[in-house]
Amino acid sequence: MPFISQIKRQTDYNLFPSSTPIVIDNGASYFRIGWAGETDPRVIFRNIVQRPRHKTTGETVTIVGDHDTTLLKYFDCTRSGPRSAFDSNVVYQFEIMEYILDFAFDRLGANGSEIDHPVLITECVCNPVHSRSKMAELLFEAYGVPSVAFGVDAAFSYKYNQQYGICNKDGLAICPGFSTTHVIPFVEGEPVYRGSCRTNIGGYHITDYLKQLLSLKHPQHMTKLTWEKVEDLKMEHCYIAPDYFSEAQLFQKGTKEAEHKTRCWQLPWVPPPTEEPPSEEEIARKAAIKERQGQRLREMAEAKRSSRINELENQIHGLEFLLQQLEQVEENDIAAFLSDTGYVSRQEIESTLVKLTQSLRKAKGERKVEQAELEKTDASMNEKYPLIHIPDNMLSLEQLKEKRRQIFLKTTTEGRQRAKQKRVEEELEQEKKNQEEEERRLENPELYVEQMRAKYKELFEKIDQRKRLKTNGNHTNGNNTSGGVGRGERLNAAQRERMRLLTTAAFDRGKGEDTFGAKDEDWQLYKLMSRDNDDDDEEMDENEAELARISARLQEVDPTFVPKQESGPTQSAAEIPRVRPLTKEDFQIVLGVERFRCPEILFRPNWVGIDQVGLDEMTGVSIRRLPTKDEDLEQRLTSSILMTGGCCLFPGMSERLEAGIRMIRPCGAPIKVVRALDPVLDAWRGASVYATKLQFPQQTFSRMDYYEKGENWLRRYQLQYTL
Amino acid sequence: MEAEVIEAELVLPTYMSFKRIQMYEKYPKGQSRGRHWKHLKQILQAENYQNYPPDEPNYVNIESPPSMHPCKRICDITGFEAPYYDPRTNLRYANAEVFKLVRSLPNEYVQRYLALRNAAVVLK
Repeated sequence: MPFISQIKRQTDYNLFPSSTPIVIDNGASYFRIGWAGETDPRVIFRNIVQRPRHKTTGETVTIVGDHDTTLLKYFDCTRSGPRSAFDSNVVYQFEIMEYILDFAFDRLGANGSEIDHPVLITECVCNPVHSRSKMAELLFEAYGVPSVAFGVDAAFSYKYNQQYGICNKDGLAICPGFSTTHVIPFVEGEPVYRGSCRTNIGGYHITDYLKQLLSLKHPQHMTKLTWEKVEDLKMEHCYIAPDYFSEAQLFQKGTKEAEHKTRCWQLPWVPPPTEEPPSEEEIARKAAIKERQGQRLREMAEAKRSSRINELENQIHGLEFLLQQLEQVEENDIAAFLSDTGYVSRQEIESTLVKLTQSLRKAKGERKVEQAELEKTDASMNEKYPLIHIPDNMLSLEQLKEKRRQIFLKTTTEGRQRAKQKRVEEELEQEKKNQEEEERRLENPELYVEQMRAKYKELFEKIDQRKRLKTNGNHTNGNNTSGGVGRGERLNAAQRERMRLLTTAAFDRGKGEDTFGAKDEDWQLYKLMSRDNDDDDEEMDENEAELARISARLQEVDPTFVPKQESGPTQSAAEIPRVRPLTKEDFQIVLGVERFRCPEILFRPNWVGIDQVGLDEMTGVSIRRLPTKDEDLEQRLTSSILMTGGCCLFPGMSERLEAGIRMIRPCGAPIKVVRALDPVLDAWRGASVYATKLQFPQQTFSRMDYYEKGENWLRRYQLQYTL
Repeated sequence: MEAEVIEAELVLPTYMSFKRIQMYEKYPKGQSRGRHWKHLKQILQAENYQNYPPDEPNYVNIESPPSMHPCKRICDITGFEAPYYDPRTNLRYANAEVFKLVRSLPNEYVQRYLALRNAAVVLK
């Protein structure tokens, strides 16, 4: 594309005599500088300044224009972005302007003590005198420029194209630039500023619009959409539709043509490594490994068990041996004999022995023995508790104690046995019930399932309702199932009641006569206040158990049955969509309608909130504003309409403009729209040609003139373009 | 400073032989960095255009007027012709599908879409 910076330093500065003017096209987007009489500017760069901080040294440096972005990695650019000296199309930041001029003259090769050349610099139409005088001041004071001339870029472009016969001496220049769009009528080769008009829309707005639209469409790629990249996309893909709405219709209907017109920008994307399903071999290998590990664990457990059994057996043998030895030892010597074994008495040894045998049995996994033992205890009940049936008065004090112990032991054992029996009975009953149910089912399966389902539903609702009541408070009437719990509803009913009681108890204190405790019911209050008064928990548990049983049964007999999810957060968790793996399409930025929607704002500025006429209507406004109404002149103007400026490069511009102007002009009026030879560079070239003219020095003004003639003169200052 | 940076002459030198007053003399370091330059609005106000004859062209009076053509509305999201308007979000939309999208948009996005046509709610 045409906008490529040239910032190589020129070496032939000293070859030019001091009479050769320097020509500057100071555009809002690009700055171009070169020598009068040459066809191309020597230095071109973006009209911006950055002042980043050097990362290692920390000093703030000035960088003018756009450079190789890879070099910017040494600088911290996060604090300040690129800055422009322009507000709209008027220069207002002269500090930035000075950096830009420094850079420009430096790259042009200037090395003397001052810039000893006349300067022709472009400005916007009807530049405010403040900006103009500041610019002149800067050129005179800082650079020692002998004389300065200001001209309008669009006018230079028009004159340049007139020279090549592209347009006539009467005509219109339409110049959609970077931040503004101008239409300037030319009569007898001179611009008529009274008839000109300006709409504050330009390439900047188009790029910004595109950038915003794309980043709203692809928020995940926002960082990739830099200004420079979007500018590139705009220049590469945007075009002007002959008729916006019919073009949009194509896209809305999704026609083939629209598909053909859709462009897409592929962001760098590396496909994630695809996971192949494991082969048979792999599965077998994994299973084998697992099996082996399991085997090892089992072996280890076995080894541990056998070693434990061994150990226990050894201990038992030792103890038995000890007991045998004890038989032979005298009663009095027992203590001495036992002192080095660690045991105190014979009973202790015996009890240890019993314990050890028990654990040995356990280790060996002999359960039957236990069972047998139980039965044995049953049989030997009477022998075990010999003291129970003997009347108290026949016993000594010690025996009485023993008797009490025996009674206790007996009752507990009996109780345990009773419970066991009950359990067995219950099981039997349940089985009987199950059998009955089965019979019923076999009798009429459909009816049975129906009944079960009804029962299930009823129970489920009951439990659900209870739960909701517990969490949501008691005024929820069942239709508030979405879980919308208000502020006051955080506590469950019981908790709230408790809170109420506590607060009343706290605030009633000391109010009037305290009669608390006069009645017995008062003390019930504490029971209510206490934390654990969830009375219906038991019933709930019962219900839940029943529900679980029914649902299990239903699952057994009815293949179509699916247990209901409990209401609440568990439900939403099940509905979370599964994460889709990212594909190539996710890294594409698709330009469909945007391709012509963005440039369309030149014709409809109100789409971006600028309430002014668009490009086509501007010509009508411009013609209307001419001081004298002259049909002939109007016809001459419309038959030589020149488009210049960067935004004319959109394909379809001239056709659209012609159609638009035809609509506002009288029927049959001659209309001819032409594009400038080079819409971007013609302004500089025109200025370059102009500055070589012999009469050019009369159009400039010197430092002396500037200070003598004053601001009012500068306000009226205007170049004569036809020399 | 890295060699490649110096070679590319990326950084603007502070001293220029062709200047009468150097940058550092004009704007000494350490002095208020935020020098105020009049913005365009302030410049235009100071120009006092009202004191000059109205037929003399100036920056303000060459501005174009609002359009006389009926304004065609487009869908804020898709760019298609928008016959409908959502009073809740103030967005214009083309069809039912877009409407669904409009209603599902978070407020931040709604405001950004509105800001595109300078219709966002600005809190001051």
